[in-house]
Amino acid sequence: MSDPPVPVTPIPRTGLTRGTAVAVAAILALVVVTVASIGLGARDISPLEIIRILVNPGGDSYNTHVLWTERIPRTLLGLAVGAALGGSGMVMQALTMNPLADPGVLGVEQGAAMFVVLGILFLDIRGVTGYFWLALAGAGLTAALVYATGTRAAAASTTIGMVLAGVAVAAVMASVITLLVVRDEAVYSHLRFWSVGQLTGRAKVLGEALPFMAAGLLLALPLGRTLNVLSMGDEAAAGLGVRVNRARLLGAGAAVLLCAAATAAVGPVAFVGLVAAHCARMLVGADHRWSLPLSMLCGAILLVGADTAGRLILEHGEIQVAIMTAIIGTPFFVWLARRRNLVRV
Amino acid sequence: MTNSLTVPTTQADTVRALRRTRNVQVRRLAVVLATCCVLLAGLLATSLFLGGGRVVAADILPAAFGLRTGLADYVVFQNRLPRALAALLSGALFGLSGALYQKLIRNPLATPDIVGISAGGSAGATTVLILAPTLPFGVPLAAILGAFALVAAIHALSWRQGVDTYRLVLVGIGLSAVCSAYTNYLFTVADQHSIAAAMRWLIGSVNDATWEGVLTLGLALAVCAVGVAVLGRGLSGLALGDELATGLGLPVSFTRVCALLLGAAAAALATSVVGPIGFVALISGPISARLVGGEHALGLSAFVGAVIVLGADLLAQHAPLISPVPTGVLTALLGAPYFFWLVLRRGAGATS
Repeated sequence: MSDPPVPVTPIPRTGLTRGTAVAVAAILALVVVTVASIGLGARDISPLEIIRILVNPGGDSYNTHVLWTERIPRTLLGLAVGAALGGSGMVMQALTMNPLADPGVLGVEQGAAMFVVLGILFLDIRGVTGYFWLALAGAGLTAALVYATGTRAAAASTTIGMVLAGVAVAAVMASVITLLVVRDEAVYSHLRFWSVGQLTGRAKVLGEALPFMAAGLLLALPLGRTLNVLSMGDEAAAGLGVRVNRARLLGAGAAVLLCAAATAAVGPVAFVGLVAAHCARMLVGADHRWSLPLSMLCGAILLVGADTAGRLILEHGEIQVAIMTAIIGTPFFVWLARRRNLVRV
Repeated sequence: MTNSLTVPTTQADTVRALRRTRNVQVRRLAVVLATCCVLLAGLLATSLFLGGGRVVAADILPAAFGLRTGLADYVVFQNRLPRALAALLSGALFGLSGALYQKLIRNPLATPDIVGISAGGSAGATTVLILAPTLPFGVPLAAILGAFALVAAIHALSWRQGVDTYRLVLVGIGLSAVCSAYTNYLFTVADQHSIAAAMRWLIGSVNDATWEGVLTLGLALAVCAVGVAVLGRGLSGLALGDELATGLGLPVSFTRVCALLLGAAAAALATSVVGPIGFVALISGPISARLVGGEHALGLSAFVGAVIVLGADLLAQHAPLISPVPTGVLTALLGAPYFFWLVLRRGAGATS
């Protein structure tokens, strides 16, 4: 039941050189993935053609149309959602000190999705703005529930207890969603997207979703230093003059906001936050001033990369991005679960 | 098994006390078993009679004895009876497999539905269903293969100088996510399949059960019951701990591997007919342990599982407001709160 005593040693700082080098590499990777996502698909467009269309937006060729109405909005939405999930995952891991924390694994996204479905069915809410407020309520409630259950769990540690609580919550939420929408096959196929997150056909929500995600990202970005202090343990943080409860609440608020915005835009996509946060920490160390922004970058790369791959694997149609991230993320999850310090015998 | 109420003074007293305890246990088991059978019969009859449609209730009973032809005969023998029997038999299989796993792994959360063995079976079954639907016995065999592959993968991946049961559960949860993603992917590829079929292989439903499926389930249950009976002594030995059981001359590893594969096969065969109906394997074992306790709990969990799935299917078909829904939705709604309670229960985390 008892967790190991949290080390009071401060997190080692990440050097400016290392941080900058990794950041530059990540941005380059992001550019490559973005170009690939814009260029590749059922109809391939070469990078030169993309540049030509970008500098000359007024053209009326078919490629121009595809690019401006489909590929670019979809890619931007993917970048924003990935960044939101990456940031949310990192903040959740830092606040709960749980290396398995992820908005999808802990069931927070399913909670948000259930509230959105309830709103669509009973309050007749349409449009991403409405979805967002519902998703925010659902994500907040679920996060509180999972945190309360997980930290009181009798399982081997709170790390595992929280994951188990998340699995139970996600199962209940997914069942309720099915229960609500299953009777009408037309409604179900329309709402199916709320149980499997995807970017297909979501390009038009970009304008509505972007402000929420931008707000969440701006709220989360300055938290790096606070998270560093909090991860030294509550007492040490209080000793350093941080108002612990306020700081925790702020962090949790940012994480829930990001998760809700991402879910409202594309539906639940698990494992992105988990993988992004660990990649970021492997690259620049635990210093959150560097690893938090980097986690957002990694999330964006991962989501857009997974979406592009999902478009290319099948000859006809595409694989939803949530399925791709589950297949990429699970080996990661299993690898983390195997680590010795996570589960004590 | 000593009786704590009386302090035995002589050997005869001890024998008498032991016999009395045993009699109480046997009587309790008989009462519980009889209650389960009555419940099952009642639920079976209810699911035959309920259902609306164009069949008059007065026609059902004669039809069940073959005295009616046409619609009533069809509805009873091609719709409702196979469905009810499939629910009953699959519930028994899920219950048995769950109790077996809980007993073997000694963690109440390590059941085939939570650690993804059902999901593995479902993934195997779906693969054959979509890519090679004409293969004879393909679906049940592929389900067993998928489940065995999952058992092997979970064991290999959670092995690290011994198996920690919670690590095993975590690894299983992860692999379960991959299997669901894969099943989801298969249905994306094969868009000619209806959403109802996708639901069956992702959530589990006894809707559209056929006599062929009932036959598979019945055979599976018979084999598993025989297997559990044969392994019974070894299983009770394992409960003493590996070292003591080895000292008693029991083939510990052999029994464990056989029981693990038997449980996986039970869950996989049930899944190959009705899909991965969740949380039944999780809750049947602890409920039956609470009802009778001791060594009889394993067998009783089959009855408990049957009652749960049959009851859940009745609710899924006929409950006001929510019906009709896939059976798995109802079992998840009933089982997940119990799962919460298991997670929250203090101090009892590691053993069942």
